[in-house]
Amino acid sequence: MSKPQSPDPAEPGPGQRVRVTSSQATAPAHVRRTVGEEIDEATGVGEVYMRSLIRSQFRAAVSVTVTVLLTIASLPLVFAALPGLNDVRVGPIPLPWVVLGAGVYPAVIALGWLYIRYAERAERSFAALVEPRRSKRPRR
Amino acid sequence: MNPTWGIVAVAAVSITTLVIGAFGLRLSRTTSDFYVASRSVSPGLNGSAISGEYLSAASFLGVAGLILVGGADMLWYPIGWTVGYLLLLVFVAAPLRRSGAYTIPDFAQSRLQSLAARRVSMVVVVGIGWLYLMPQFQGAGLTLQTVLDAPRWVGTVLVAAIVTINISLGGMRSITFVQAFQYWLKLTALLVPLMFLLLAWSRDGEPHPVQSQAWLEPLGVATGEHLYSVYAVILATFLGTMGLPHVVVRFYTNPDGRAARRTTLIVLLLISAFYLLPTFYGVLGRIYASDLIAAGRADTVALELPGRLIAGTGGELLTAMITAGAFAAFLSTSSGVTMAISGVVGQAIAAQRPAKGRISSITALRLASVLCISVPLVLALNADSVPIANSVVFAFTLAASTFSPLLILGIWWRGLTAIGAIAGLIGGGIAAATAPFVTLVSDLDGWAGTLLSQPAIWSVPIGFSLMIFGSLLTRSTRPTNVGRTMVRLHTPERVNVDRRY
Repeated sequence: MSKPQSPDPAEPGPGQRVRVTSSQATAPAHVRRTVGEEIDEATGVGEVYMRSLIRSQFRAAVSVTVTVLLTIASLPLVFAALPGLNDVRVGPIPLPWVVLGAGVYPAVIALGWLYIRYAERAERSFAALVEPRRSKRPRR
Repeated sequence: MNPTWGIVAVAAVSITTLVIGAFGLRLSRTTSDFYVASRSVSPGLNGSAISGEYLSAASFLGVAGLILVGGADMLWYPIGWTVGYLLLLVFVAAPLRRSGAYTIPDFAQSRLQSLAARRVSMVVVVGIGWLYLMPQFQGAGLTLQTVLDAPRWVGTVLVAAIVTINISLGGMRSITFVQAFQYWLKLTALLVPLMFLLLAWSRDGEPHPVQSQAWLEPLGVATGEHLYSVYAVILATFLGTMGLPHVVVRFYTNPDGRAARRTTLIVLLLISAFYLLPTFYGVLGRIYASDLIAAGRADTVALELPGRLIAGTGGELLTAMITAGAFAAFLSTSSGVTMAISGVVGQAIAAQRPAKGRISSITALRLASVLCISVPLVLALNADSVPIANSVVFAFTLAASTFSPLLILGIWWRGLTAIGAIAGLIGGGIAAATAPFVTLVSDLDGWAGTLLSQPAIWSVPIGFSLMIFGSLLTRSTRPTNVGRTMVRLHTPERVNVDRRY
């Protein structure tokens, strides 16, 4: 009796190695996933998209805050450092009263408006990235 | 002074408020209607409602009183209350709406996955609400005393009663209509009398206020203590607005995050328009009513001016108009705050063991509103009166030291943990809560008094740093679903991820 060319899979000998093969000989078809799915499944790619959105929104918020700190919130120091400003008048009213009583408000509204424009643009481009086909449709 | 017109004004505002409330009742059917108007309020209506709710007794009467006494430096209060909204817009508005929770404790629980964080937030919500309600009630008493010669408790009890009835009737939906109406009422009630007052002033030869340097110039006496106080007000109001429970709960009534932002911009416009007015009352008061400072009744300056400048029925009608506006301010703010805190307490009652499953959440809300209003009512009847606007800043300081770090860190930093948040809420809360006690109980002077009665400069950093370092030390307890939460908070609704209800 000669030894078989290949071992019979039904009865492998003790301690013998077994070759395991797949019946599928071809590579799996590439699955196309949308960015939305990447985000939903919290894959590395989805994380990158999310982090970039959050970072851009946070940067906008911080820019507004820094602008407020440098302009409005620094006014007490400016008035303390330059008492001469009290002698500057707009009509009969001292300049500090004009600035604090009225001038600050348009600036705050303008900042808010600029922020909203920026934030909505960031969201639009995020939407275009995630769902290129849907966002090409005219918006409601 | 003849009180007839004053009585008519107070009665008209009270009845209108109740009628609009009852009109809302027919629309409010479900629990969601009751709590957040089913999240279907348009930015225009919602913006008016938020402004109506936000402009409290402190804005309507308090700012003019402060300017009468303190002059240019007091202009920081209304500026702070406006910039507070700007910071709310950029850090909190849209993500908070997208979080899909009803209240700050809901937000804390879903973001941090912790029941303990929810409970601590509930306590803070109630604390802020009480601090905010007390001056409103006191202001109401003061107003009726000035206009009708009624004892102080009459106005206080009247406002508390109307608010309780109104909330029991319709909840948030009716409140939305009431608040929107009351913004326009308040604006008119300051604007129209001001026209007549300025006319009378120019006929009088346009006298200038009696000038003292400390009053006229910002930081006219620029001591370190003075500068500290100004910055304490700035910090408390800039950051405190986003943490006020009645402001935050309003954002859930927007249909989506984008609408939440647009609503906030409308609010900025509306409250800015309003805040141009009290300054005039303060300055005119300096000319015609400076005796009120010594009498300790500076808060009534807006109510006193028409009678002093315009004789006869004209003056009385204008006073009645301002009274109506002031009453609208007490009612709208007290309703909003009471609604917000009793929403939180109501949820807790409905979930507790003896009541669980036995009472509906709407019954629980009604029960909670009675509970929540009685404590500040008792406080208002018994405590000494502090200038309204100062006293409101206690609530802002508490909010700035607790919920402001919770919201900013919770929304923008993945690293926040439940333990860190709780440490910050407790630490910041205790630091900020020293202020009202020190002011009401002790008579500390000098730096110690200033530091303790206006703690924002140090209590806000305590809140933030406890949350940050507490979270860094307990890094391993980070909630596992924080990534998911971030997706929900920051993606626009129209993008098809994280599909929710």
